[in-house]
Amino acid sequence: MSGRARVRARGIIPGHGAREVGCAPGDLTVSVSPSNTGISNDDGGRTFTERGKVRRDVIDLSVCTREKLAHVKDCKAGSSGIPLQLVTNLFSLDLPQDWQLYQYHVTYSPDLASRRLRIALLYSHSKLLDKAKAFDGTILFLSEKLDLKVTELTSETQRGETVTITLTLTTQLSSSSPVCIQFFSVIFRKIFKKLKMYQIGRNFYKPSEPVEIPQYKLSLWPGFAVSVSRFESRLLLNADVSYKVLRNETVLEFMTDLCLRTGMSHFTETCQKQLVGLIVLTRYNNKTYRIDDIDWSVKPTHAFQKRDGSEITYMDYYKQQYNITLSDLNQPVLVSLLKRKRKDSSEPQMVHLVPELCFLTGLSSQATSDFHLMKAVAEETRLSPVGRQQQLARLVDDIQRNQVARLELETWGLHFGSQISLTGRVVPSEKILLQDHTCQPATAADWSKDMRTCKILSSQPLSRWLIVCCNRAENLIEGLMSCLRRVGGPMGFNVGYPKIIKVDEKPAAFLRAIQLHVNPDVQLVMCILPSNPKNYYDSIKKYLSSDCPVPSQCVLTRTLTKQGMMMSVATKIAMQMTCKLGGELWAVEIPLKSLMVAGIDICRDALNKDVVVVGFVASINSRITRWFSRCVLQRTAADIADCLKVCLTGALNKWYKHNHDLPSRIIIYRDGVGDGQLKTVLDYEVPQLLSSVTECSSGASSSRLSVVVVRKRCLLRFFTETGHTVQNPPLGTVVDSEATRAEWYDFYLVSQTANRGTVSPTYYNIIYDDNGLKPDHMQRLTFKLCHLYYNWQGLISVPAPCQYAHKLTFLVAQSIHKEPSLELSDNLFYL
Amino acid sequence: MEVAEKNIPCNSVVGGNFEEVCSEKVIRFKPPLYKQRYQFVRDLVDRHEPKKVADLGCGDTKLLKLLKIYPCIQLLVGVDINEEKLHSNGHHLSPYLGEFVKPRDLDLTVTLYHGSVVERDSRLLGFDLITCIELIEHLNSDDLARFPEVVFGYLSPSMIVISTPNAEFNPLFPTVTLRDADHKFEWSRMEFQTWASRVADSYNYCVEFTGVGTPPAGFEHVGYCTQIGVFRKNSGKLAEPFVSQQHDQHVYKAVYTTSYPSLQQEKVLKFVLVGELLIQVERLRLRHQRMLREQEKELDPKPGDTDFSQAPHLLLGEVFTEAEKARIENSPQPFCEGEKFCIPLRRLLAYPKLHRLCVEEDRMRSLIADSVCLSNDGSAIVVDLHNSWDYWPEDN
Repeated sequence: MSGRARVRARGIIPGHGAREVGCAPGDLTVSVSPSNTGISNDDGGRTFTERGKVRRDVIDLSVCTREKLAHVKDCKAGSSGIPLQLVTNLFSLDLPQDWQLYQYHVTYSPDLASRRLRIALLYSHSKLLDKAKAFDGTILFLSEKLDLKVTELTSETQRGETVTITLTLTTQLSSSSPVCIQFFSVIFRKIFKKLKMYQIGRNFYKPSEPVEIPQYKLSLWPGFAVSVSRFESRLLLNADVSYKVLRNETVLEFMTDLCLRTGMSHFTETCQKQLVGLIVLTRYNNKTYRIDDIDWSVKPTHAFQKRDGSEITYMDYYKQQYNITLSDLNQPVLVSLLKRKRKDSSEPQMVHLVPELCFLTGLSSQATSDFHLMKAVAEETRLSPVGRQQQLARLVDDIQRNQVARLELETWGLHFGSQISLTGRVVPSEKILLQDHTCQPATAADWSKDMRTCKILSSQPLSRWLIVCCNRAENLIEGLMSCLRRVGGPMGFNVGYPKIIKVDEKPAAFLRAIQLHVNPDVQLVMCILPSNPKNYYDSIKKYLSSDCPVPSQCVLTRTLTKQGMMMSVATKIAMQMTCKLGGELWAVEIPLKSLMVAGIDICRDALNKDVVVVGFVASINSRITRWFSRCVLQRTAADIADCLKVCLTGALNKWYKHNHDLPSRIIIYRDGVGDGQLKTVLDYEVPQLLSSVTECSSGASSSRLSVVVVRKRCLLRFFTETGHTVQNPPLGTVVDSEATRAEWYDFYLVSQTANRGTVSPTYYNIIYDDNGLKPDHMQRLTFKLCHLYYNWQGLISVPAPCQYAHKLTFLVAQSIHKEPSLELSDNLFYL
Repeated sequence: MEVAEKNIPCNSVVGGNFEEVCSEKVIRFKPPLYKQRYQFVRDLVDRHEPKKVADLGCGDTKLLKLLKIYPCIQLLVGVDINEEKLHSNGHHLSPYLGEFVKPRDLDLTVTLYHGSVVERDSRLLGFDLITCIELIEHLNSDDLARFPEVVFGYLSPSMIVISTPNAEFNPLFPTVTLRDADHKFEWSRMEFQTWASRVADSYNYCVEFTGVGTPPAGFEHVGYCTQIGVFRKNSGKLAEPFVSQQHDQHVYKAVYTTSYPSLQQEKVLKFVLVGELLIQVERLRLRHQRMLREQEKELDPKPGDTDFSQAPHLLLGEVFTEAEKARIENSPQPFCEGEKFCIPLRRLLAYPKLHRLCVEEDRMRSLIADSVCLSNDGSAIVVDLHNSWDYWPEDN
């Protein structure tokens, strides 16, 4: 653990007292003799603060936001809806009432650099022999207190040196302390190893039971994502099934194939593009590395300097060290920068890896865009609730039946037990409001059938527009037009006849035609693109989103040739075009008048990883059917927004223009918050939003602000139990107890369906709340907002403004790479 | 191997007081002595390719960890009296993750037993090599007396390696009487060799003496720092596996055991075979595509297309020996049937990476049948010549 990390780790231990020195020293002299060989070592080379860092999700837990929110201090649970018994993937971890963990700081005199030696000496000391202990070389945890605050032990190394080990009690930890939580994680890491699982990243996998997908050269290793932490009132283990994707080829084989595909002239460039960022597993240890670069000038026959200063070629090194003979002496080396820095320098450590000895893990972006491949992977990894439950049951069984694992838990006084059940609620379903009709959808998952003949709320007639297509696609236009008219009529969307421009099948030709024919009078440009649309799409969107802001609609030729699908395709296109022209499709009942909701999402630009793309989408009417969208590019190291003040101010101005008043309430949903960023969002982003609110109000009573952090990805799962089988919980299921956190005002909401897999709930954490809405209202409002995403006639997993913001940032990060024009901010131009 | 002499100032704390220990010449071996001892064993394994190897007094299993990478070893056993050490180090002997992707050729089982080297356990019978590295000096006189009859007499492996400190070297160390507080004795070369020769004689072994840790210049007369005896059983009486069945004696407690995936396991063989096969198929398919494109280009040459005239500055992929080349050329050629590309199984089996798996064509056919598409007569693999994910950047 680096010095800085240690300070950080200590920082979160509340007030450990000054170290007391002066207890009877050196009354114990014991010699140590590791029986014959070198030096003993510990359980695997990790420190308690994983790679010298406090785990980031643990940092988040120290941000106690709930205590500042008076209205939820006592109770944050809602009440409406029908109670429902749910099974979770949480497991109890019980401890004796007065359980404490004793943390000691350990020093050696003379100081020993080798962690292994430090551990070996301490572990074999008779004083500690029968005690439950965990030691990372510096910090020692014991479950029983030593007699003295400072204990000195004397040991002798193999070389005959006498070493004094000083153990100083630094803290007594209760089971709820963050350090203790990390400690439990270490214990479970040990247990999983005993179960013959391997740790990769933070998860544990069983490579001995792989699922093979030979046609794509993939293996899937089954395993678990696990975290131990303190939920509402008790310590729980959260486990979810996870699969590690491994490619059954070495990086060298991958390169050889790529070389055959691309030819030499493009090879190095493509290789770099495809490999950098991927994670590889090396053949000769269990470590994973991120490929940061490829060094084409270094070959296996080149020499490097070993730690002891001697030089050796890579080739000889692998032969000597691992008995591996390299077959290709012309391969380059992969470069990886290690996260851990060397003690004495601030430069990140760099390692060279030989492609032939590296296996690719995970899926490349190219693979993820291959529909067939993804389908094959999904078929293996998408587990039904029943399948998931079986895997979890097996894990519990394995832990409980493994003697060594059980012993490990017992020595620390931990009791690993039952799967937690809790009571959730299913909130009432929502009605969908259309122009002259209110429908109660048969299922909230999809109401496209329910609104087929209904008029949408409002739309602009489309009369002045262009279709750009290549000659081949011309014959499709007639069919498309007639379908658009047939679906547009009942919807109330009038589609006039477009001006058709035929061009060559080249991206440049499309762009030239658009530049030539688009004038301020044009309402919308439709482009019918041939296959491989990326080149076309990017240049068209770039031009029409920022250079010459006009809404655009791109359609693939392939989509228009799907037999029997034309009506549903046309419906979808008609709805998107309506939105792009500023129309409104449907609404839900919002009891609060004068409420603005907004969504924020953040991602990295695809071309330039230094650029952060911030999307901000806010409602500008009290019906929550019209939106103000803004996207800002900023250069920052962290995924934290700098520009929120200007975004919110823009939205408030827009609101004022439409409503001649300011909204009395503002609720902002912030998506894209990574582990460990909660504090920064609270300290840095919330103030920006607040200052915008204060400035805009200028004396009048200002709007009240709430900020909600949204997380789509969480380990938690809920099932309903019916008879002997488990199922996904119904839409609208809310959980606000037991699986939540005492420190936070938070809840889970199931607002999406999973046809075959297990549904994953969305997690909401209200970190700032001036509005003081009842938890019940907050939950139901959130649920309502999940109905308002116009690109999908059904519920979605997050509130609509978040999804809009996501869609906007995605377009900018992937295709446009610059800020879209503000002229389009009133339209959902990015759908 | 070299000896580096360094002036190392060392402070040691005794009884809570700092006591200045004057700078002294300390002998440091490079590589460290323990590594030299391990290297000695590794060289031996390289030379004799034993199948079954046991390390008595394996401690933290470091030597076993080094030995598990040898392809010849199929059974690797460690024995120690410190159970906790075996527990905490066991998982270091589990296969690397990569070994599930590129498995070994032969099975390997690694087992750690808790027990004493002077107890008889029939599971250690019939070994090719037993190593006792820095072990005997930890035995008290009773145990030392029983040691030969158990290890030489009962276990009776083909080869035994025993290493122990050479007491004659000790005066070169600053203060040491014994190198470790747990050492019951340290022998001179004479003492060791006398003991070893007597043991060898009584159990029909021959012994050779050597060592690691060369003394510094001017002190050659003291001999190696670690003395080693290599015992080999005199021919005739080979290990008899039936003994283990007759007198099953399981006194040791198995603390940890693990089996490696290997090509001897049908499931693993199938996985590797299909994997290598698909890589080869893909390569041949791409090569064929490229050839077709080259032919097209020749008919319609574009200026500035330098792709192939340019000498490749990289050589990627396998390089075949003449014999391999001949084998490949003598096998049936891949061919096209419309948009389908067919590669005869016999062709595929000619490539070194598949050839080395030593699978007959029929066996191969049955192993791959449910993973690939075969031609009607089952003699070739059939794939689409063009794939949706093929891309040729030259086109842009």
